[in-house]
Amino acid sequence: MAEESALRGAGWWRLARELDPIRATWRLFTNVRWAIGIIAFLALASLVGVVVPQVPAAVRGDAVAEGRWLDVQEGRFGFLTGGMNSLGLFDVFHVAWFMYALGLLVVSVAVCTAGRLPPIWRSVNRPAKRVNDAYFQSARYRLEYGTPAEGSRLESVLRRRLYAVERYEEGDTVYLFADRFQLAQLATFASHLALIVILAAALMSRFSGFSNGMMIAEGESGPVFPLKNPRQMQVQLLDAVGRFTPDGQPLEYSSRLAIYDGGEEVKRCTSTVNTPCSYRGYRFHQAAYFGFGADVQVRNLASGNVVFRETMALASTLPSPHVIVRDGAGKVLLDGTLVLTDILSDDQFTYYGRLVTLPGGRTLTIGARKAAAQEEWRLAAFEPGERGDAVRLVLSEGESAAAGGLAVEFADLQAVPAEFIPDFPLPPDSATGGGSQSVLLEMSNVVYGTETTSEGTAVRPAADSGPPELTIVGVRPQALTLRPGEKAEVGGYEYSFVGQREFAGIQVKRDRSDYLVWLGVGLLLAGLLATFWVPRRRLWAKISPARTQLAGHAGHLVNFEKEMAEMARDEGGTVGEQQGQENDE
Amino acid sequence: MAEDLQATRPVEVDESPQRRRVWRGPWRSVILPLVVVGAIVGAIWWLDYRPDAGSSPYDPRYGPAEMPAALVSPGMTVEAKAGSLAPDFLLATLDGGELRLSDLRGKGVIVNFWASWCAPCRKEMPQFVAAYDQYRGEGLEVVAVNVQESPSIIRPFVDDFGMKFPVVLDKRSSVSDSYRLSGLPMTYFIDREGVIRSVFQGPFLERLQGTQVQGAIEEDELTRRIQEILG
Repeated sequence: MAEESALRGAGWWRLARELDPIRATWRLFTNVRWAIGIIAFLALASLVGVVVPQVPAAVRGDAVAEGRWLDVQEGRFGFLTGGMNSLGLFDVFHVAWFMYALGLLVVSVAVCTAGRLPPIWRSVNRPAKRVNDAYFQSARYRLEYGTPAEGSRLESVLRRRLYAVERYEEGDTVYLFADRFQLAQLATFASHLALIVILAAALMSRFSGFSNGMMIAEGESGPVFPLKNPRQMQVQLLDAVGRFTPDGQPLEYSSRLAIYDGGEEVKRCTSTVNTPCSYRGYRFHQAAYFGFGADVQVRNLASGNVVFRETMALASTLPSPHVIVRDGAGKVLLDGTLVLTDILSDDQFTYYGRLVTLPGGRTLTIGARKAAAQEEWRLAAFEPGERGDAVRLVLSEGESAAAGGLAVEFADLQAVPAEFIPDFPLPPDSATGGGSQSVLLEMSNVVYGTETTSEGTAVRPAADSGPPELTIVGVRPQALTLRPGEKAEVGGYEYSFVGQREFAGIQVKRDRSDYLVWLGVGLLLAGLLATFWVPRRRLWAKISPARTQLAGHAGHLVNFEKEMAEMARDEGGTVGEQQGQENDE
Repeated sequence: MAEDLQATRPVEVDESPQRRRVWRGPWRSVILPLVVVGAIVGAIWWLDYRPDAGSSPYDPRYGPAEMPAALVSPGMTVEAKAGSLAPDFLLATLDGGELRLSDLRGKGVIVNFWASWCAPCRKEMPQFVAAYDQYRGEGLEVVAVNVQESPSIIRPFVDDFGMKFPVVLDKRSSVSDSYRLSGLPMTYFIDREGVIRSVFQGPFLERLQGTQVQGAIEEDELTRRIQEILG
């Protein structure tokens, strides 16, 4: 009765153990099918992440921009868009459920590995060195052959084959246990650890990865992080270099950088597209190059102080015609590319023009115009006044014509970098009484790079010679044209064109997960190589004077029956009928 | 070796140990592996965020400072908002000295947070330079708090723009934190009693200046606020 009660109690205990939530969870997480299920889920989610458009990094986190981006997707996915967005299908690799699945897989692999570690470790560290005689009849790989008359040499054969051999004698029977590549059985843990490391890398990339793009002008600096970040660094662009072929094709971009940390300069380095600067785990990649910046300074002459100092990117272009004007005798009166400083437009045309005074005093209004519906630019040359033979010409590119005793040629149309700059300081003694307004900056004779770079240029220079020239339209009635280093006083202000400057786009990235990925891949390769190339072999031998019995165990990739036959042959044994039989379990 | 083998008993060969799961209790089967994984992740995290050898040490004296008790009027709070006493700080100046805000008690003080990379800061700085020249004689002091920049980057800017007032270096942005800085530029107007009279976020621009990038501010806005703190 007491025994029956005890048995009943044991049953309850077993049931309680089965219902133990921790153990039940452990059983789930150590189930290979569960891990495969998670991997399949992640693979499917990744497929969705590849097939379905993903929200661009530049848009992510900006509610307004994301909304606009989703509006575009609605044209493709229709009524499904809202639901897909709620499920995070437009940002699969950043959505919480994907991260949870990755985390579950990490836990599963870890628990699974821990659950299998003891038996494998025991198999490696304390292998079954002696087996029952019945095993020689049932082993997966087994061989029986006549022991050589001169005595068995199997032990030395095994040692030659790099087996670790142990022996035991019982009467006239010798037992051997041989083990080769013993530690290879642990390779499976390297593979599992690799999986954990790679998944950790993915999580790390997700949570601690950093990327920030900066566009910096030469001589200027910018913060790497948002304001007040305690890890703040500054990047100063000492020199942006663009090398080009003579026909303007880019060869190489690079940037000479100074990096500041904690308010001190900590590194100077050159960053190229393929070889970024590195500091504190952050990489400073050369991401972009822009060659047409104008460094302008405005000084208040009364105080002597600078009131404006900016390097402005002239990211637009304006037409700049190359015009040649000759007199009746063929003498060249004008041969140059004209920066057009006046801009007018109506419903039909946009005019860019300027007055040109020729040697001898005649004045021409030369402009370029393009009808709204046309692509072709026309050059218009008009001579003010009521002269009957006044110049009135409209020319296409490459055309020339004569009028009023002058021959005008529209050689070609070029483009000069230009930009409207809002809030440019106006001179205090001007009609506006100071303040600021939008002005037009045009830079001609532009060149790429510094003296250390090539002289190639993607935008052809406006003239064959001479330094860059900056034309400022708007600070006084006439346009103001300055060469590098030149200054002009206008109404109490001194305007200086410090020089042409380049910009570099620097992408600051930090993602140490790449090292982890390499580590993980290395571990995975090591695990796979050990598993497939040097799988563990265990061999038990029972050697009696008449016959030798071998039983072996090795991975599926090992042709162990062949190896056993070779061993028997090496020691001169007579192989019987049972050689190489395999026991299909 | 032979003795070892002899001493053992014949046992079954465990041909597929990797297929067996062994429950060794919650601590060894669940907690321990999770701790190991946690240790790996923690190690990675530490390697990622460990203190960097490259960072230059900060002088711990510089940053927010305790306001001397004698300067705290009864009933007044020390807080970075209008109507409260301006939080005190001690910072290194660009020229190698030190500046403590509470030492300026008795003067009207403009505390302007700025950085050379901040375009609006560059635009408004001439206004402070001009105001300083104009009102210095009446007891105005301007303190330009540079946020997290290197002196070598700041100095050319200071020289060009003729900033004759103290430029202090908030390298750790600890003072910026204590003043709840939310963007640059940001300016605090502190009266002769050390009370913040007003806070202005964004640039002070000249008449007509900035109308295309932000709403125009009153022409005499800066002057009005200066006169308010000078009493």
